[in-house]
Formats: sequence, structure tokens, C-alpha cells
Amino acid sequence: MSSTRTMTVLPGRRARGARSLSRRSSLAGFLFAVPALALFALFAIYPAIQVFALAFFDYSLTSAPEFVGLKNFAYLSSDPRFLEATGQTLFYAIGTYGTALLLALMLAQVLSQKLFGAGFVRLLWFLPLATSWVAASIVWRVVLHPDGMLNELLGLDVQWLTSSAYARWALVIMSIWKETGFFLILFLAGMASLPQDVYEAARLDGAGAIRRFWSVTLPLLRPITLVCVIMAVLRGVQAFSPQKVLTNGAFGTEVINLFVYKTAFESARMGRASAVAVIMFIALLAIALVQIRALRRKD
Amino acid sequence: MKRERIASSIGLVAAAAGGLAIFSVLVYAVLTAFKAPGEKMGAGASWWPAEWRWDNIARVFEAGNFDTYFLNSTIVGVSVTVLNVITCTAAGYSFSKFHYPGRNAGFILVIATLMIPLEVLYVPLYKLVFDLGWTDSFAGLIIPAATSAFGIFLMKQAIDSVPDELLEAARLDGAGPFRILVSVIVPSVSGTISALALFIFMTNWDSHLWPLLVASDDDYRTLPVGLAAMQSNQLGDTGIPVILMAALLAVLPTIALFLLLQKKFVEGIAMNAGIK
Amino acid sequence: MRKTKVLAVAAGIATAASLVACSASAPSGDEKITISFWTHTHPPMIEVFEALIDEYEEANPNITIDYQTIPNGDFNTKMLTSLSNGSGPDIINMDDAAIRGEYLPKGLLAPIDPEALGAADAAEVAARYVDGALAGASDEDGTIYGLPSEFNGSALAINTAHFADAGLDPATTPLETWDDVSAAAQKLAAAGHPQAFSFLYLHSLWYAQQYQTLLHQTGGVIADGDEGALDSPEAIAALQTWADLATGPTAAADPNATSREATTPFQDLATGTQSMAIVYPWAMQQISETNPETYANLQVVPLPQANPSEPTSRVYAYYLAVNKASKQQAEAWRFIQFLADHPTEFLEGTDFVQPVVGWETTPAAQEIPFIDVWGEAYSVGRFDQVTPHYAEVQDVIQKMVNDVVFDGKSVKDAAAEASASVTRILQG
Repeated sequence: MSSTRTMTVLPGRRARGARSLSRRSSLAGFLFAVPALALFALFAIYPAIQVFALAFFDYSLTSAPEFVGLKNFAYLSSDPRFLEATGQTLFYAIGTYGTALLLALMLAQVLSQKLFGAGFVRLLWFLPLATSWVAASIVWRVVLHPDGMLNELLGLDVQWLTSSAYARWALVIMSIWKETGFFLILFLAGMASLPQDVYEAARLDGAGAIRRFWSVTLPLLRPITLVCVIMAVLRGVQAFSPQKVLTNGAFGTEVINLFVYKTAFESARMGRASAVAVIMFIALLAIALVQIRALRRKD
Repeated sequence: MKRERIASSIGLVAAAAGGLAIFSVLVYAVLTAFKAPGEKMGAGASWWPAEWRWDNIARVFEAGNFDTYFLNSTIVGVSVTVLNVITCTAAGYSFSKFHYPGRNAGFILVIATLMIPLEVLYVPLYKLVFDLGWTDSFAGLIIPAATSAFGIFLMKQAIDSVPDELLEAARLDGAGPFRILVSVIVPSVSGTISALALFIFMTNWDSHLWPLLVASDDDYRTLPVGLAAMQSNQLGDTGIPVILMAALLAVLPTIALFLLLQKKFVEGIAMNAGIK
Repeated sequence: MRKTKVLAVAAGIATAASLVACSASAPSGDEKITISFWTHTHPPMIEVFEALIDEYEEANPNITIDYQTIPNGDFNTKMLTSLSNGSGPDIINMDDAAIRGEYLPKGLLAPIDPEALGAADAAEVAARYVDGALAGASDEDGTIYGLPSEFNGSALAINTAHFADAGLDPATTPLETWDDVSAAAQKLAAAGHPQAFSFLYLHSLWYAQQYQTLLHQTGGVIADGDEGALDSPEAIAALQTWADLATGPTAAADPNATSREATTPFQDLATGTQSMAIVYPWAMQQISETNPETYANLQVVPLPQANPSEPTSRVYAYYLAVNKASKQQAEAWRFIQFLADHPTEFLEGTDFVQPVVGWETTPAAQEIPFIDVWGEAYSVGRFDQVTPHYAEVQDVIQKMVNDVVFDGKSVKDAAAEASASVTRILQG
């Protein structure tokens, strides 16, 4: 061992020494992942396998599961409630998270600079994120009332919470309010770790602020953008708290995860809920893989 | 330069205007939290409380075991956050900077667990935790939440941006993998670690369904479950103002943590530049 | 392969769970016994339970009652998950719809133990209660599974100050039918009280219970076997009554302006915004505490009817029942009997009626304002019809009502669509 160590400094034998070092460090590297992987195996993967299996069973939670093959999937494929929830989920996810992402990116560009008052403005945008959905819903029911703040502000006379035409928009508005801060923080954290010298170089080359944003900031932000985009899809598609507390799914606002929750716990049809989970898993994984491919570094 | 300065100022003004619009909703919440239980609220009613009920704060602590819930949430929230920062940073480092067989498969498996709705996982998870004898215990509240796929993903992406040359330099100085993690990686991504800590704390602080299932005993209840109980008390004796007050008081620790950590989000710039 | 593996895992978990349950139980006698007991949250009720538990533990030093309250909105989730592996409580406190809709069909409850209840047989236990009061916790064969902890009838509360503003005398203004309500509403609106009468548009269970109130009166049912019956003439008449009170020229209020805060369901009545509302006894007690000024003007009158010659009111009840998986059922029933022996404490502490024979003539009952109206409401009361997967049916009823009241769909179309959905639920 000691000979290997001394040899690494010798130019001619460096390759061999480096290989043995990397072999040792790859074992150490694996060990760093062990605590997380062990926790995952026990508390995520093991239950997930059971959920996957339950998708093929009739299971009321309180009696023994009964194997039914593909019946749950067949039912869902023609269930108007599930199909409507799917459409509503897409609307909610795109409306809320598309907007929140763009807004957060623009805000982060402004608020990452050391300007007077930026810290206070950051706090303002963060506050709704810290507020619980329950508290948010109590306040927003008042804001969205026909005679409430929003109609007054926009000069409208809209039944935000009691019509199938507008309730979905009410949820999008409330959720943008609450969720923009999430992505703002991620973008701010991402921008914070960008190497400053690249900016200096771009500035010396005479690139304007907008050019620098497009050709320096955005490419360098790609890793964190990938996190943001994937989290946006996940939070959008798996949302159910806002729907649960504001409308409980009424007026066409039932999203897939609320449907899952109600199916599992209110109707005690755990098998069917598990089948939805399996469908959702496959769809989300496919989307995530496409996103990872699209945002992969071109190197 | 000057034009840019003006442009950023305009941007800041716009961001501030948006921030204030967002804030106005919360101002309304705070004002309502000080109203009397029977006072008219909502459209047409005055924003300003007819009489300021400061005792609403005290009533939060009288209704239910708010202080126990608060303490439990703090214990669980802090433990879960610390454990997540450790496990997620270590795993992110492992997935980002090392090569070993099964690394990519492991990472994809971790990401894949994000794609399953949590609610359905809770039923088998409950049975598991029950068999481990962890119901009505802090272990049951903390350990299943001790790592997170989102956190590992976030940390891996952040550590990807740390240049390999930095690691190589440290290695030539004789630093082992652990020293590199502590003295190179962690300082480089401290902004992201702060964000992670904030998100994990916040998510856990708001987590409702799992604590509800795992703890039946009031001694192990956390704030969200306690707040739900308060909200579902059909007796108007508590009333919306007190419920709002409780919900708003419950937000304060998260805000404090944000204020504590938010400098990190922007200060990372200087640190990173210094290392280079 | 996978199937057998899962079953093996499930069996393993079940075995482990029953082992834990066994080790937790203890033989009766002087051994220490812990009985777990879960209820929903309602602070005055909790106080009564806690006081009685203290008393019981003092009289029975070997028994500990482990009493926990579960947030109402989470009750079912919590209960089902814990019952899924036998870790649920010994004593369950459930409403009649859940008992008949979910818990009895799934065989989760133990029948009453007459001996532990101090009776020779089940008939003797039943004879202690008002006729039909145990129907909410009985199966089709008449086997009884619980004793009532609260029993709620419905009536109409009216704000006499609003009536005076409109020049109406509360004593002589007819409120016998829903048409009468609509007629009074027009006068109240003209006198500056546009929100004269409104249904509550909160969670789906609120929609379902109000709809069932009307359905009882028109003689309809939700389902006939596994076929939805929401488009029968009787059911359409019930929905039409609701629609007439909520929309068009006969509307008694603007439903869009009705408060939708489930935490304080009777907010509009309590704050003097609304003139009339369907109420339960606990609602009146709640208003008396939060809004005493309004409460002073409130009067309780019998529920308006579809057919006044055959008055019908809706009742619902909560029962104390014993988990079939409990290892100490006799001890659990003995404690339940102790609770049932204290109707006065419940009546005075929470306005909860325990429908034992002659309850309405007890001194405590006579203290309750408008006891005659309430007594009458109970005597013509009927429990809701429940179906399997009743939670899904409630969602369908909510959508049906929303379609008609808020989205302008015709009563007939909404009812036909809802009925098809119910059929799908019951057959799916």
C-alpha cells in the first residue's frame, strides 16, 4: 500500500495509482448513499411494491385482499370521474406551475441582486409558501367571495367558488399565490452558486443584461432548472391539498390525487386507488425521463 | 452600467408591487385573526376588527394542547430537517461525484419513488411502522421521513455544478472523500443546503396525514393534526378568528427559519467566487 | 407468484398484529385493564366524557380508559387505517350513516352484550330507548350494535327581529310548507333581508343530509337495490323543492352569497345575515354562546313539510360501539353502560339527547328552550337511507345539487345523470 501511495506522484505510474484510489473511493462513495438507500428500501420501496401489487386486488382495508386481475384498470379506463379528474389535473398543473415557474425565474433574476429592499421583497413572496393550505383556504374563500377582494380589484362579477366555469381558475390563482415562492427560493439558491467570473467575462465582452441572462444564466442554471421543472410537474400532478381545502373537488375541481385520497379512505377502495397510483407512476416517470433528456447538458 | 441599474430598480419595484399584492391577502388574515368570534367577516364586512381581541392569542393555547403540539412539531421538524440535510447531501455527493456499479439505477429508483402518491403509500407504511412498534412514538414520526427523494435530487444537481478540479485539488492535498465533502462540497452548495433545510422543515411542519395515522395519543400529536382538530370543533366557541390565529402563529417558526437562512441564498455568490 | 407473495406478507402482518393485540389484553378481575376509546372532537362533549371517565376510573381502580379525540374531517381515514391491521380502539363512537353504510356490512362491530349492559336480553336493552332510536345501529335482522351517545332531530330556526322588520308575526305566519317559506322570504327580502332562507353548501355530507331531509318528505329513496333512484318522481320532487328555494322567482336567498365556511356552518344565521335555517339542537347551543344578541331573537319552529298531513323530520345519531377485534368486549360494554346511565350529564353539558324512554319530560330536558318542538321533531324522525360506498354517493348528490343550483342545469337532467352515477357506484 505504501508503495502505491508513493508511486502516485511518479508521472509514469500515475494511471495505475489513480485507478486504485478511485476504486477505494468508489466504495467510500457508495457508503455515502447507504443511509438514504436503506431508509428508501424500507419506508418507500417496500410499501410501494405492496401498492403495485394491491392494484390487482379488491381491497377494502378491513377485509382480506381479493385478487381481481385487471378489473381496477378496466373500471378506471371508462370511469368518467377519473377521466374528468385527469383533465382537471392537467389544467391545474399547467395553469399553476407554468405560471409560477416563469414568474419565479423572472423574480429570481431581479431579487438575486444586492439591491436595497430585495431581502424584504423576497420575504413577501415567501410568506404564502410558509402559510398552511388550511389557513390559506379560509382567507381565500373570503377573497374569492362574489363581493370579495378579487372581484373588487378586477372590477368583475364572477362566482369564483360556485361555478364550474370559474372554480378551476380560482384554484389556479390561489395556488400561484402560494407556490411561486417555492421556485423562487430554488432559483435564488441556484443562482447563488453560479461562478461570478463568467459574468465578469460576459460583461467585459459587452453583453447586456438580457443577453447575459439568456446566454450565461440560463445555461448555467440548467441543473437547478431541471429540479424546478420536475418538481413543478410533480407538485402539479400530485396536488390535492388546495382542492381539498377550498372546494373539496366540487364544481369540476376534483384532481387525480384527491380522487385517489377519496377512493382510498372515504370509499375504502384501496385496490382501485392503488391502480390509479400505478398509472400515475408510469405517466410521471415517462414525463420525468423526457424532461431529464431535454435538459441534459450538451457536453 | 447606469441603464442596467435603472432596469434592475424597475424590476425590483415590479417585484415589490407583486409582493405587496400577495401580502395584502395575509394582512387580511392577520386582521381577521384579531376579530371577535361572532363578528361579521368576509365580503361587505370591515377589514378592521370592531374590537381588537388580543386574548385570541391566549385562547389558542387554551384550546387543545397547543403547547404540546408545538413542542412535538419542533422536535420532529428539527430532527427530520437535520437528518435530511445529512442523508440527502451525502447521497447527492455519492450520486454526483463517484462511479460505482448500480449508481444510476439507485438514483433512478430514488427519483421514481417521488412518482407515487404518498397517500396510498401510507396504508402499507402504517402497517410496517406498527409492526416495528413505532406507533405513538417519535421514531414513527421521524425515521420514515429521515430522507427525501426530492432532497437527494436537489443536492445531486447542486453538487453536479461543483467543478471536479476543486475536488481534484483537495485530493492532491491529501483530503479523503469525507474531508472533501465537509470542506469543499458543503461550502460550495451551502445556499442549496439552506433551501433544502427550509423546504424539509416546512413540508414536515405542514405534514398532516402521516402524523394523524401514526399518533393516536394526544401526547404525540403535531400541530397540523391539532389545528385540524381545532378547525373541526363545530362549536363556534373557537370560531374562525381563533383558528386563523392558531394557523398564523404556527407559521412563525418557518418564517424565522427563512429569515435566518435567506442570506445564504444570495451570499453563496461571494463564497463561490472566493473559492475559485 | 406476486399474488401469493403479497398474501403471505399480508398474512404475516395480520399474525403479528393479532399477537400484539393478544399480548395487550388482560383477563378480567383485579388485573389492570386499559380500554381505548376514540371519539370525534366537540369540546363540550369531550368535557362530559372526561368527567365521566374520571368517575369510572375512581370506581374501578383496575381499569384505565385511554380516551383520544380524532379531528372530524380525518375520522374515517384514521379509523379505517387503524382497523386495517387490528390496531383500532376498543370503543368506537360513530354516526349512524357510517355504522350502517360501512361498519356493519364489513363486520367490524361486535353486537351488544346484554349481560354486560345489565339486561337479560337484547329486547330488554331496546326497551330502555324510544322506539326506533336504536335503528341507526342495527342491521337488517334487527341485531343491535351500539347505544346512542347523541341523537339529533332537525327543526327550523327563525329570526323574529327580521320577521318584525317585514311586518310578519312569527306566531301567525304559516311556515308549514316549503312554499310558505318561499312566500315569507319574498316579504323578508322586501324588508331588507335578502338572505331569508338558504340551504348550507358545505361538504358533500351536508348536501346529502339536507337532500335526504327533503327526500324523506317526498317519500323517495336514493337507491333501490343496486340501482340509483335519484330520478324517481319522488326524488325529482325533492330536488325541485331545493331548486325552487334556491333559484328563480321563488328563491329565498342568493346561494352564491351564502357562507361556505364549514367550521362555522351556521354563521349566516348567527350573525343575523340569514333569517331562517334548518338547525340541530347543538347548533342552537353554539349560537347562544357566540352570538347571544342574535340568539335572543331566534325561535325554533317545526320543520316545513312537503306534505303537512304526514310530517317527517330527519334524525341522525352517534353510537358507542365495540370493535369486533377488541379482546375485552365485556369490559368495554360495561363502561358504555356506565356512560348510558348518565343522560342528564350529556343533556346539561352538551345538549345531547340520549333517547331513553321519557327523556323529554326529565327536568334537564325541560330546561331546553323549545323542548316541545324538539320533542315533536324526534317523534316524526327518520334515519337517512345509506348505501354501500355512501361517501361516493354523497359526492354525487353534491354534484347534482350544484349542477341545478349554481350551474343552471335542469332538475330532470341533473337527476338522471346523478342516478346513473349511483348505479355505477353500487355496481362497480
